[in-house]
Amino acid sequence: MAWAIRRVGLSILLIWIAASIVFLAIRLVPGDPAELLMAQGGAPADPGAVAALHTQLGLDRPMAAQYVDSFRRLLHGDLGESLQDGTPVAGEIMRRLPRTLELIGTAAAIALLIGVPAGLAAALRRGGAFDRASSAVSTLGLATPIFVIGTLIVLIFAQLLRWVPAGGYVPLAQAPLRHFGLLLMPACAIAFGLASTMFRMTRTAVLDVSQRDYVRTARAKGVARRRVLIHHVLRNALMPVVTVLALQLGTLLGGTVLVEYVFNYPGLSGMLVDAVNARDYPEVEGIVLVISILFVTLNLAVDLLYAALDPRVRQG
Amino acid sequence: MRRLNWLPVAAVAAIAIVALATPLLPLPDPLAMDIAGRLAPPSRAHWLGQDQYGRDVLSRLLWGSRVSLGVAVLACGAAVALGTALGLAGGFLGRLAELLALRSMDIVLCFPPLLLALLVVTLLGPGAATLVPLLALLYLPGFVRVVYAGVLSVRSQDYAEAMRALGATRLRIMTRTILPNIGGPILVQFSLTMASAIVLESGLSFLGLGVVPPAPSWGLMIGAARSTMAQAPLLLLWPCLALSLTILAMNALCDALRDAVDPQRAPRPAGLRGTLAPHAPSLAPDGDALLALRGLTVEIDTPAGAIRPVRDVSLRLSPGETLALVGESGSGKSLTGLAAMGLLPPAARVVAGDIRVDGRDLRRLDETALRRLRGTAMAMVFQDPLSSLNPVHRIGAQIGEAVRAHHRLPARAVRERAVGLLRRVGIPDPERRARSFAHELSGGMRQRAMIAMAIANDPRLLIADEPTTALDTTVQAQILELISGLKRQGGMAILFITHSLPVVAEIADTLAVMYAGEIVEQGAAAALFARPLHPYTAALLASVPGEDGALPRSIPGTVPAPHDLPPGCRFAPRCAHRRDACEAAHPPLAPVGDDRLTRCIRWRDFAGTRPSAETAA
Ligand code: SF4
Repeated sequence: MAWAIRRVGLSILLIWIAASIVFLAIRLVPGDPAELLMAQGGAPADPGAVAALHTQLGLDRPMAAQYVDSFRRLLHGDLGESLQDGTPVAGEIMRRLPRTLELIGTAAAIALLIGVPAGLAAALRRGGAFDRASSAVSTLGLATPIFVIGTLIVLIFAQLLRWVPAGGYVPLAQAPLRHFGLLLMPACAIAFGLASTMFRMTRTAVLDVSQRDYVRTARAKGVARRRVLIHHVLRNALMPVVTVLALQLGTLLGGTVLVEYVFNYPGLSGMLVDAVNARDYPEVEGIVLVISILFVTLNLAVDLLYAALDPRVRQG
Repeated sequence: MRRLNWLPVAAVAAIAIVALATPLLPLPDPLAMDIAGRLAPPSRAHWLGQDQYGRDVLSRLLWGSRVSLGVAVLACGAAVALGTALGLAGGFLGRLAELLALRSMDIVLCFPPLLLALLVVTLLGPGAATLVPLLALLYLPGFVRVVYAGVLSVRSQDYAEAMRALGATRLRIMTRTILPNIGGPILVQFSLTMASAIVLESGLSFLGLGVVPPAPSWGLMIGAARSTMAQAPLLLLWPCLALSLTILAMNALCDALRDAVDPQRAPRPAGLRGTLAPHAPSLAPDGDALLALRGLTVEIDTPAGAIRPVRDVSLRLSPGETLALVGESGSGKSLTGLAAMGLLPPAARVVAGDIRVDGRDLRRLDETALRRLRGTAMAMVFQDPLSSLNPVHRIGAQIGEAVRAHHRLPARAVRERAVGLLRRVGIPDPERRARSFAHELSGGMRQRAMIAMAIANDPRLLIADEPTTALDTTVQAQILELISGLKRQGGMAILFITHSLPVVAEIADTLAVMYAGEIVEQGAAAALFARPLHPYTAALLASVPGEDGALPRSIPGTVPAPHDLPPGCRFAPRCAHRRDACEAAHPPLAPVGDDRLTRCIRWRDFAGTRPSAETAA
């Protein structure tokens, strides 16, 4: 328990550090963000406009005051206003975040449902036809970048075969079937690589665990094969698999950028790319912050989950 | 280092050479536009066609490889250099450096990599000048950790200690002992990082946030080809292919390096399958014997060919009897025990002989029938109780599982039975212990729990494979006492496998001594202890072997390997009583009086006295 509390405390500390870094990075990087912003298009910035923007962003105040102020607003869920249209950043993030999470969740579910059973089957008949075929596919899956898969999916299924539209998004309430149809393509693009990783991990872990002494003990007790497989082999093999999945999901929190771009999916990362291109600092700051909070929280969840799965961890 | 698979090395080298040689090749200018040749298909002048500005695709592809690989190499090189420095500093310069070097890396790790990349690009603008330091920063933590872990493991090793004792400076220790040792892991991490850097660079370029056009880059090419994919799908395919193949080669290289560096990852024969092949002729029932082995021969496939670590072993065990199977490690005694459980490892199989437990021929039973016998007819206790217990299930649940494998009982009854069994094997406070995990118990307690699990269904035969070897002496005595207590109560037959004769002096009724896969002497325990009729038995008696089952000190030499047996008496090279006749022919296991067998041709010479325990030098 003390261990868990310490772990939670560490995560909060990391989030604070991350928020501070985002805050400082934007203000300390050479070049005045307001000037950079206003100077876009080649013309020098109008000093009056720059000054106005300074006031709007609070950049004319002392750094410490800005820092305290931005944290105070952060605690109230206020991430400032977009420079592009003046709408609150937090609201737009909250509108788009669920879409990205839905995408990641769907991809993870597909990857788990394919990768784990396939890895188990391959390990049980190591060197067999299925093992060799699926290992080859997973090698391909690991070697193909996510945006390449996505682009090829669009090329094949939308352009050449014309089975599906090239991308987009429809709210669930509006047209449920179409919603899932549009969700499926980007989710599959993510799931290909993810399932390959899950497959590899499961296969390796099952091979490793099935040689452990306690599996032999279980068999020596006369426990049925299926039960040995599920309660002893899979139960222990899943620990590294779950850990890797969770870490991969964390990486995906930022990694959906490419898929959302390819499929024109209006998620959080797409918003980030737009914000980066428009140099909309409050938006970039807000999104980066939200995602890193999610990321740190996810890593925390992995650790806690691992402790729940493996009693030995709780002691350490 | 193990043998390296050279194919991926060659593939990566080929890619690198192409990238390096690109300026020397007679290629069109990758930036030269030709609006007339817009989206032209492959032709003699442009082998892979032209893109939307009429630029030569092949030329752009090859020049693009220079950009992708160049960025990746520079970034990874910087990450290696800085990471090694930080890792070494963290491992060597005391607590503060350790804290700074490692904790600062945690900060990098609290952003998803692509996100951090986008943040940096927002601040610094796109371009290769941003990409290289950015990627280097992203991959820094990986290298710091690899180096730090390497330093920790090497630092504790003897030669680093020795060098320090000799007064070598820290720097010298670092460069002489540590760097060569962490070279392998760094190489693996480097190839891993290269692949990842190429993916990230191309991804950012694809978004228009990496390499700045018109410079050729695979990511940019894919991004640009998207807009014309309806007219020219091939344009999309070439850079995708180039990118995927490069990463494929890097991944394969990484796997090959890892296999070469880390022997743990090398392929081992494995799998859950593997039962006895039921084809041997069945012999007549063996009277009232609980365990009867006849001519058991076990074969194992190895890369060097099949070996037979157990040959022609015959044993008989009556109800209530305790037979000690004694021999050094490598004598085949454990495989014999596993064969009697029908639990040989997948690579091993019975090729000859007969295994009967309670009258049933194990070689004729399928896995389901064998499963029903395991735990009820015969049960086994293993050497290392910690690794033999499942780390994630509670002790009580694991014992209950043994009960439930053979009886349909309500959960409460199973729980009570588990607690009762723990009490029976002398574990204090069994209700509480039932809820413990294996790592929470002491070694002796764990072995008691293992025994409780084995006797859960009152087996008639208990096979104990070195049950006391992993324990310290006092606990050893307690476990032995527990086993002989069980024997007195239940009339269980026990096959006690050990490398140490003194351990079984109290408990064994009969002894079988194994050497190099064969039984060399067999008979009543008292008679063997009093007057061994084989020099090997005498040597075992004279020695108190080490705890690890290694050779007793007083017997020089080693057990011959199964593929390299001496032609005559297998013990001859180590025997002080050797004569020429010993090496002429392989001695048979000959009866020498009532229920006594020996494989030594000179047994008559020892019949009056003990054979001297001295052995050949
Ligand atoms: S047969 Fe000869 S070599 Fe072998 S044990 Fe007996 S005396 Fe020694």
